Amino acid sequence: MSRARPGGSHRLGARPGEVIDRSRTIEFRWNGVTHTAHPGDTIASALAAAGVRVFARSYKYHRPRGLLTADIFDPGAILQVGDEPNVRAAHRLVEAGMDVRSQNTWPSLRYDVKAVNQLAGRFLATGFYYKTFIKPERLWPTYEKVLRRFVHAGEVSPDSEQPYFDKRYAHPDVLVAGGGPAGMAAAVAAARAGASVMLVEQEHQLGGHLRWGDAEDLRCRDELVAAVEAESNIEVLTDSVVAARYDDNWLAVVQRGLPHVAERLVKARAGTLVVAAGLIERPYVFAGNDLPGVMLSTAVRRLLNLYAVRPGSRAVVFTANPEGDAAAADLRAAGVDVVEVDARHGRTVVRATGRGGVEAVELSDGSRIEADLLVTAVGWTAPTSLLNMSGANPGYRPDAARFVPDPAATPAAVIAVGGIAGDGTRDELVAHADAAGREAAARALALAASRAGSADTRDPVAVPQLGLHHHPELFFALPTGGFVDMSEDVSAKDILTAVKEGYDSSELVKRYTTATMGPAQGKLETVNTVALVAHATGKTIAETGATTWRPMYTPITLGALAGRKFEPVRHSPMQPWHTSHKAAPLIAGQWIRPEHYGDPVAEVRNVRQNVGIIDVTPIGKLDLQGPDVAKLLNLLYVNKWSQLGIGRVRYGVMCAEDGVVLDDGVTGRLAENHYLMSTTSSGAGTVWEWAENWLQTEHPEWQVHVTPVTTAYASINVAGPKSRELLARLTDVDLDNAAFGYMNVRTGTIAGVADCVLWRIGFTGELSYELHVPASYGLHVWETLMATGADLGIAPFGVEAQRILRLEKGHLIVGQDTDGLTKAYSAGLDWAVKLDKPDFVGKPELAWQAARGEHPKLVGLRPLDTSVVPEEAAQIISDGGYIVGRITSSRLSPTLGRPICLGQVDAHLADPGTRLTVRLRNGSDTTVEVTAEHAHFDPEGERQRV
Amino acid sequence: MMLLTCPNCGARNVSEFRYVGEAKSRPDPETATPEQWRRYLYFHRNPAGWIKETWYHGSGCRRYFGIERNTVDNAQRPAGVTS
Amino acid sequence: MSDIAAAPIARTALSFPGPVRTTDGWETTARHAAGGLRLADLGPLVKLTVRGPADGSVRAALGTSFGHTVRPRGGPLAGALVVGSGPGEWLVLGAPGTGGELLAGVRSIIADSGEFASVVDVTHGRALVRLTGADTPLLLSKVCAVDLADRVVPDGAAFRSSVARVVTDVVRDDVDGTRSYLLHCERSSGQYLADSLVDAGIEYGIEVGAPTEHDDATGHPR
Repeated sequence: MSRARPGGSHRLGARPGEVIDRSRTIEFRWNGVTHTAHPGDTIASALAAAGVRVFARSYKYHRPRGLLTADIFDPGAILQVGDEPNVRAAHRLVEAGMDVRSQNTWPSLRYDVKAVNQLAGRFLATGFYYKTFIKPERLWPTYEKVLRRFVHAGEVSPDSEQPYFDKRYAHPDVLVAGGGPAGMAAAVAAARAGASVMLVEQEHQLGGHLRWGDAEDLRCRDELVAAVEAESNIEVLTDSVVAARYDDNWLAVVQRGLPHVAERLVKARAGTLVVAAGLIERPYVFAGNDLPGVMLSTAVRRLLNLYAVRPGSRAVVFTANPEGDAAAADLRAAGVDVVEVDARHGRTVVRATGRGGVEAVELSDGSRIEADLLVTAVGWTAPTSLLNMSGANPGYRPDAARFVPDPAATPAAVIAVGGIAGDGTRDELVAHADAAGREAAARALALAASRAGSADTRDPVAVPQLGLHHHPELFFALPTGGFVDMSEDVSAKDILTAVKEGYDSSELVKRYTTATMGPAQGKLETVNTVALVAHATGKTIAETGATTWRPMYTPITLGALAGRKFEPVRHSPMQPWHTSHKAAPLIAGQWIRPEHYGDPVAEVRNVRQNVGIIDVTPIGKLDLQGPDVAKLLNLLYVNKWSQLGIGRVRYGVMCAEDGVVLDDGVTGRLAENHYLMSTTSSGAGTVWEWAENWLQTEHPEWQVHVTPVTTAYASINVAGPKSRELLARLTDVDLDNAAFGYMNVRTGTIAGVADCVLWRIGFTGELSYELHVPASYGLHVWETLMATGADLGIAPFGVEAQRILRLEKGHLIVGQDTDGLTKAYSAGLDWAVKLDKPDFVGKPELAWQAARGEHPKLVGLRPLDTSVVPEEAAQIISDGGYIVGRITSSRLSPTLGRPICLGQVDAHLADPGTRLTVRLRNGSDTTVEVTAEHAHFDPEGERQRV
Repeated sequence: MMLLTCPNCGARNVSEFRYVGEAKSRPDPETATPEQWRRYLYFHRNPAGWIKETWYHGSGCRRYFGIERNTVDNAQRPAGVTS
Repeated sequence: MSDIAAAPIARTALSFPGPVRTTDGWETTARHAAGGLRLADLGPLVKLTVRGPADGSVRAALGTSFGHTVRPRGGPLAGALVVGSGPGEWLVLGAPGTGGELLAGVRSIIADSGEFASVVDVTHGRALVRLTGADTPLLLSKVCAVDLADRVVPDGAAFRSSVARVVTDVVRDDVDGTRSYLLHCERSSGQYLADSLVDAGIEYGIEVGAPTEHDDATGHPR
């Protein structure tokens, strides 16, 4: 392994505003070569200090690229760090031992130029996404491989460790996006006005452009930072970004640089959003503008003043503003030879030339200057996307050569401050931001007060508006050349071609060329793209308009969006027993249930022969109290409830207003005004809300209280011919058939546990008791049942055995044997529907269904070929090949030794004895016969009534 | 995510609520024609502007309530309890 | 009926690794937490839900309304914590084993009121934990979207919202000037909720353990 010269050949002496710690030196690797850096260096600044000029190859044409902006938006410095691709190397701080590699450099960073460019030119014309690789389709996989190779954009190993992503909520009164002078001043003013403030800065330090300014700038920065630190009410997040603004100031803030946390998504609900994003320097479009060595003036000043890196030795500074002049002065002070080209005097740069980097610069007057650095300072772009996301639509101002927000068109909850809002001296900016901060606090506190029920009595703060300084409009050189979007490798020529081909609006050009769609999300590219479109269409920039700014402000990781996931799971009190007895887990909604304990068929046989117990805790349970419960039951269920005696239970079916079956279950009457309703496991929440809906909105005069008690009870179904014998050993309830018959309810003690509810019902078709035990004792009762029933052959059974048992018995499952179109008569529930009741939910539709009588019907089906179990959802087809029904449930019955089904069929095919054709998944057909009853086993119900 | 103002709990994230629908009055099931009944079941005004809606605060007070919401900008104002 | 059944043991919704102990018929973790941020399982506490008119005699007798709490000094509910958990809805929390007295107390209040009101004992149907420590607002901000600032949720306030996507009653009930919250949810989600709280609390050094005398809900030494 080779080793670079320590210290860095381009490192300058100490600078007043530098952010590096020279007392320490750390090592990292760059494409296998060990380099050194100081803490505080970004990857890019450390490499630049070592004289590295080429960082990566461009996306489509594999052109060499170097630093352009030297910040997080730099399209030339997107690198692979260890297992992490697409790291913004001009933002990410160097850490000891980092393994940094360039991306997109197939076959290598240095030697791929010719071959790749020739290949690229053939395929990657304007709009190549739409033009090439279309036909023939069979070659798509090949194209994909070529493209993947071309645009490999980093690598992630499938073995990489999952970092800890986090999320949290925050409720600042005022959230300030941007920690430059205006943002800091606004934050301090808001905090002093009594607001809680979150101040979010994308870079690693507060200060914005003051950090690379003169001594006065640095003094101002220090004062503002000290003021921020003095306010305990300001939470400062650096290396963090306000990525998006949504309704009601819901702000997605991505926080980085935390210990133990890869990234944290802060979901901030701010009273007022203060947008202090500053200005972003705009690149200039000219031939050769992507050569390494072409940099923005802010990039140069960052390198010089923050990192003490000399970015070149002979510089041309193309300047149209004081910041460009300052960059020239800074370069001179660092010992760089500087030639200034002043746009304000009509001189412009038209071309940069060189192999692998800038060697010479050509001017509009035809002169040519040798240089290894070309600095441009041609204007500013206002990064207005947070304002656009707020509904404000900043307009283009030709006198200032940038888009500017209109305060009157900005929502009250959003205030723009600082450079994004206008120009001014440092003192003017701070004064304006101070007033804006006070106003932001006043608005936020008034909002909080109004949410707490108080009136808004504040006096608005007058915010001095900033003016606009004149700036020449400089976007591209003529004749046009060079790149508009360096991330996406879109050239000026591509934009002109797109317009010529008819894509004559910004939005169309964006999609056709992919300009502005790269990692900088348009911050460097949009205005130049719009200017070129305007030039090509003969319109003004204001007429042309920018493309829509959407989240994210800065690209963020998918991990940050995913965060920690909240996926509630629910367990019954017997779960520890199921786990230790190797139950196969079944995920049913949020519930984890035992599907079986190894052999569901044996579990079925044991229930038919001996006794089995199943954990049915997820069955929904609602405690109903009040004198009007019967009215509610009569309304919700299709059958009648007025005559239900105390101690009795009844099966009921609920339909929605469209007559479609909603849920079913049994409800028992425990006392005069006290009932316990059960629902399906999946319908527990729905039925509770359904009941509350009718009580709260249609019948508030009814005296009924509904309390969900689903998990107040552990529910255990004890089923099988020996269930009575087992229970008799454990309860004080008289189980004699005469005293406690089928479809009755009793309360009593089980295994020493008081206040248990026993229902004698039979989903499985066997003699069975459903025990509802106070949940804390569920495990105790379950274990006691298992121990007590050992001599009776007791065994647990799971959901699969229960499904088989109920299908043998022909009991339907709502949602499986019915669907979103199945009305009660189609489910074969004719016997339950009582149309002579005055009103119940779904009655009109059911009355019409009964009168029409042409509905599909749920029927029992017996396959004639006993070796074939038709799949659930298999279609039943007519002779002509039309679908006339489907299998809703099917199993091989262990009790009968043959396949059994339920299915829905068209009305004219529902008569017993009708033979039907079922198309199986493998394409073959089999014949089934409609049975007289849904029940295949014990249709008379003898076994459950004993 | 927008806020919805619950009359009992105050402004909360809308994810705490279930949208029940445009507030409607239920026709008399004894006398409604199929046309009237299905208009009640399936037809919605869906205006661009103010609309009276029913929401259910499932993660909070668990109450159904009516609110008026402007579908253009999500502005809200209280409405009487749905009846 | 035979008497082969052992004395019944009650289990709360939560279990944590390590030794357990049985107190008052309840099996709970035997770990002791003394750190600056602690989670205690208060599952054995008595929990009653009361429903009645939001503004009537029952409300007057219970002494609080939605969003607030009270600890009656005398009367049938002395020693309990009464939480206004919803409009016309209350949660009464009491020391383990006092269910009979509290139930009778609430029933007497209802009977005296002449109003339509009801009470359901949900001791076994809910999970209840207490989070105590200065960092609890930070921890909760990772799982709950409601602003916990003093002006919104002062000591003694209660609200219901989503906590780690589980509908949870949150009661601010500071202990000796230290931030403390009771979290009360439906039982089957309790273990998940506790696990989520522990996961969110790792960066603040959360410890899980048996309640100390200051950690119970009623505010009275046990």
